Amino acid sequence: MRRKLILSLVLIMVLAYGTLLATVIGGLRPTLGLDLQGGVSVTQQPKAGTEFNSASLDLAVEKIRDRVDALGVAEPEILRQGDTIVVNLPGVENQDQAISLVQVTGQVYLRPVLTACFEVAPPDSGSTTTVAGTGSSTTLAVASADSVAPGPARPVSNGNTTTTEAGTSTTAAGTSTTAAAGDTSTTIAATATGATSTTVATNTTAAPLDDNGFPLQQSDPTASQYLPLTGTSQYCQVGPAQGTGEVFTDEVSAQVDPVQGWVVQAPLRGGAAGEDVWNNLAGQCYNREAACPTGQIAIELDGELQSVAEVQVPTFSGNVQISGSFSETDARNLAKVMNSGSLPVQLELVSVQNVSPTLGEDSLRAAWISGLVGIGLVLLFMIFYYRLLGVIVAIGLTVSGAILWSIVTLLSKTQGLALSLSGIAGIIVSVGVTVDSYVVFFERLKDEVRSGKTLRNSAQRGFAGAWRTIVIADLVSLIGAFVLWYLTVGAVRGFAFFLGLSTACDLVVSYFFTRPMVLLLARTQWMERRKVMGIEVTAAGGAS
Amino acid sequence: MTDVETDAIVDDTDVQPTAARTRRGVFGRLYHGETAIDFYGRRWWGLGLSIALLLLSIGSLVGQGLNLSLDFKGGVVWSVPSADLTEEQARAVLDEQGLEGSNAKVQVLTNRDSGLRTVEVQVGEQTDAVRQQVQQAFADEVDVPAADVSTNSVSSTWGKSITEKALRALVVFLVLVAAFIAWRLEWRMAGAAISAMLHDVLLSVGIYSLFGFEVTPATVVAFLTILGFSLYDTIVVFDKVQENQERYKAVRMPYADIMNVSMNQVLMRSLNTSLAAILPVLSLLVLGAGILGAVTLREFALALLVGLITGSYSSIFVASPLVAMAKEREPKFKSLRSSHATGAELERLVHGGTPLGRREHRRMTQGEVAAVSAALSPEAALTHTPRPRKKKRRV
Repeated sequence: MRRKLILSLVLIMVLAYGTLLATVIGGLRPTLGLDLQGGVSVTQQPKAGTEFNSASLDLAVEKIRDRVDALGVAEPEILRQGDTIVVNLPGVENQDQAISLVQVTGQVYLRPVLTACFEVAPPDSGSTTTVAGTGSSTTLAVASADSVAPGPARPVSNGNTTTTEAGTSTTAAGTSTTAAAGDTSTTIAATATGATSTTVATNTTAAPLDDNGFPLQQSDPTASQYLPLTGTSQYCQVGPAQGTGEVFTDEVSAQVDPVQGWVVQAPLRGGAAGEDVWNNLAGQCYNREAACPTGQIAIELDGELQSVAEVQVPTFSGNVQISGSFSETDARNLAKVMNSGSLPVQLELVSVQNVSPTLGEDSLRAAWISGLVGIGLVLLFMIFYYRLLGVIVAIGLTVSGAILWSIVTLLSKTQGLALSLSGIAGIIVSVGVTVDSYVVFFERLKDEVRSGKTLRNSAQRGFAGAWRTIVIADLVSLIGAFVLWYLTVGAVRGFAFFLGLSTACDLVVSYFFTRPMVLLLARTQWMERRKVMGIEVTAAGGAS
Repeated sequence: MTDVETDAIVDDTDVQPTAARTRRGVFGRLYHGETAIDFYGRRWWGLGLSIALLLLSIGSLVGQGLNLSLDFKGGVVWSVPSADLTEEQARAVLDEQGLEGSNAKVQVLTNRDSGLRTVEVQVGEQTDAVRQQVQQAFADEVDVPAADVSTNSVSSTWGKSITEKALRALVVFLVLVAAFIAWRLEWRMAGAAISAMLHDVLLSVGIYSLFGFEVTPATVVAFLTILGFSLYDTIVVFDKVQENQERYKAVRMPYADIMNVSMNQVLMRSLNTSLAAILPVLSLLVLGAGILGAVTLREFALALLVGLITGSYSSIFVASPLVAMAKEREPKFKSLRSSHATGAELERLVHGGTPLGRREHRRMTQGEVAAVSAALSPEAALTHTPRPRKKKRRV
């Protein structure tokens, strides 16, 4: 028991101080936020003379936010000035990096799928490559422009719908064929909310990773490459793009089909700009030509495949219907992406400027000085009130401080975290709250001693009781932090991140530092008979 | 008292503080955990004050609304090309034009390639006339043609989608937390904890509205911090209540007593924690914002200060009475509702004593005891009262 306690104490202190020392020696410091240090301001605007719609501009802003602030800790400023988009990034030293980070094309590409999509996470789970077997099928169907609910009355029960069946109805109602498809799109919805998919670092040399931990692919529409299927851990090999989202009009919509549930209706532009391009690609896929051996077409936006669908009619006219086991959000998101792709914003770089901090060095200095004074006051109070136990609080705070500082530094190198003034103030405030775990524990300890137990027993029982309280209260904070982090963007997300971080840190330090420290001290002779805890412990136990 | 049973070994040292010890001062009693404050009896003091303040807050929010900063509203921005226009000069120009210079956001942009320096000055939405007038004023200030100073509308950096997502997340958060508290403690406590939290956030927001302080993204983060702290603090108090509830399960004891005992036991912890949380904030406010003059810290720290104070206050004076009042409706506690211990008796309970075996008897009026005894117990005929039954020890 005693050994375990000592081990835990030593380990946590070595870990905390060791990482702190490593960061200090490595010369790493957290990046400061826009308000304190300024940064780089990148201004982009739509290319002159190009058409675009407001929705695609909004989508571009959303995309940029995802790219520069995946964790929610970077606190960039993204704003629209009329049609221009201004992105202010804190602490970026490399200009090219800043530019590549904020440039999203908004271009939707249509690319033939070369090899069937496969799971990457567990390498041996090749079974999932069974494309059509996975129930969730996506269907591409042609519908003549005038018929609203055309052929799709055909159930697509499993992916292997035959083409002949499709053929029959194509002529009749001029429509619609079902095409079974890759197991797609079950979670296309993830694109909008699960913004984490593009984790991008602002000032690291390491390549950004996608959510499966692979280097993020820059979309290269001229080559064949492996790209992730959004919302899944699957990758598909796709060939060079054979068309863009511009083959569709911007009236793509999600609709309810009486039989197939939510579907996406995508009207094709007429003639050479639309139908011809699409049919050229669809034809190759239909015939499983070399360029499209799987018979599937992928819809790609910024390096992520939004949907993969199998084509089962050679020619489409007027309208393409994509169906599958879409939820309403899935369908709406796909429609949104395709709409914006139909009139993509082509942003061009207007300027890259250094932007000055809005607050000066003075504010930073004021925050540090007053923060440290405040923490000093807390410690004085603790030592005054709990005597020796107060000293434990002081050491404990340095341990949590070391852990937090190391994590913050690490994140500012890898995730673009930038400490703004309010962030620093928040950290200072969290110290006050962290002290609560000690107070809860020590008050219990005193209660136990007063009720006549020996110090050693009191410490054991006191911690058991206090730990219960700490865990319940911290779990509430953690739930809150996680929900807020998962569901929000921007400053709120950053707040939630720090709340979760400091709460988790509190739990770790309470259990691995405070507990062994107090339990070990309570075993020593020295603790007894002295006013070390703020109450006098008599030899027999109990307090006077 | 000799007959109080072995139950009371502990109590021998602690039970009779008034008699055995010299009475300590207020702080001494606090320090040694010897308070016996009848929180329950005074519950309407706290609830009344809170209701009054809440009404004031809501009134102000409805009547005056919030003073949102540029980050939420967007507005208009003038870009002034100039090699030497300083921030102060830019603000002075705004002041001359009748706009509040101190509220403007001024940034200096330097082109990476050409080194061209531009000063961007942003204020809230203005009419075309004002835009042109200020444009001209800036042009005059730096001696360039008015056309060189560009005027643009600018969107908010906060954005509607951020607010919407945050609100949705808050609702999910509240539901989950309520479910969690209901599971770990009980549903009445979940209701009370969330009411107390809303109370705290409303009061803090109310103060911002009442005094017209500017609400920035940092303030919003401060409000969220308050929300977290308030819940945390309430849970710590409720955990103690729950523990005592278990402890006194076997005894007939009014809920008010359980609540009072818990409040007194947890009082010192609450005071210490509040002080520990408030000290750094106070330092940010007085030293950082006041003496060292970092104005941004002021708004942030002020919101936090108010929130931390109300957060600690509401755990004891709002959340706990609410739970007590809800619990008293339960059949188990209903019959005991009219009476609760105060003074020395409460003090004894706070020290971990269980209610005396005879206490229930004492609770009833003498008449009742007599009537019940006469009707039911053969012992009533005995010449002397029997010694109380030994209670079985319960774990």
